[in-house]
Amino acid sequence: MSTATKSTTAAAKKDTRVIDGLNLVLADSYALMALTHLAHWNVEGADFFPLHKAFQEQYEDLFEAVDEIAERVRALDAYAIGGLTTLAKVAQMEEFKSPMTQKDYVAALIVAHEKVTDDAVRTRDIAGETSDLQSQDLMIKRLQAHEKTLWMLKSYLKN
Amino acid sequence: MDSPSTSCSTASPAECAPAHCRRSCALEVIDELLASPGAVSGEESDLLLDLRWRLRRRDDAEAALRLFCDLRLRMEQRHYLAFFRIRRWLENHLLASIRTCPLAEAQFVGVKLNHYCVEAVRRVSLCTALERGAVLLAPRLRFTFRPVEAAPIPSAFASVTSAAEAAA
Repeated sequence: MSTATKSTTAAAKKDTRVIDGLNLVLADSYALMALTHLAHWNVEGADFFPLHKAFQEQYEDLFEAVDEIAERVRALDAYAIGGLTTLAKVAQMEEFKSPMTQKDYVAALIVAHEKVTDDAVRTRDIAGETSDLQSQDLMIKRLQAHEKTLWMLKSYLKN
Repeated sequence: MDSPSTSCSTASPAECAPAHCRRSCALEVIDELLASPGAVSGEESDLLLDLRWRLRRRDDAEAALRLFCDLRLRMEQRHYLAFFRIRRWLENHLLASIRTCPLAEAQFVGVKLNHYCVEAVRRVSLCTALERGAVLLAPRLRFTFRPVEAAPIPSAFASVTSAAEAAA
């Protein structure tokens, strides 16, 4: 590890805002994963097969993402938050009440992805301010994934 | 345009958290629809402005709901996401006040907008009251806005650690 990398990570470890931000995005992503999984199970109707498959791809991506975010928190010498009650309380994401229409599942997931996106943007910016480039890079990667999913979900709702 | 923090006075933060409200405030959604070139016709613009005015004044939930249902029938297929956001906002901000008979005390139930006409929404709300064991003799139902309470403005991530500690 180079001296420059060591020093930026050391500085980031002292700034709890980045850790809080990462833990918030972790909670958001976990909550979104659970909601996407629910949509995958309960969606019904003419578009069942493509939506069921798309939702599966999305929650699988989120499953990998939460692991990566939690490991970044650990790399900063902090502890990742966990447990369903804690994650739900931190994420404050509105839960679905199944059954819903296909379009309502998609719209509700869009709203949830937007919440994660907002929090990831703030975390990316704070990581940038503190020169924590690794956390910043991770948030940029997550934002790319969420923006792509948002594009796909919004396209589905267009007539 | 009002900023989200002032235009959306959330009555029940548990159900409509400020974190969610930013992008889904009904007034903001209506403003976005009105600002999108070619998205709405002249008549739809008039009705959207009427709905905006009703939601801002919060004095006639019945009229607001009628306008919303009318607009939803006309526009939802073209603007599904926008109407989903307004629908969710209304569900979080409206209540049905039900008196089982004219002299009875009012009971309040949440409003679910799974139907496209006000009378169907009214019927569903009455059925919800019936499920609670109420006997409806000459029922009266009135839609109202939830009472306004000032919602705290959240700081960036200040709540993460405390929320995690409280949950633990």
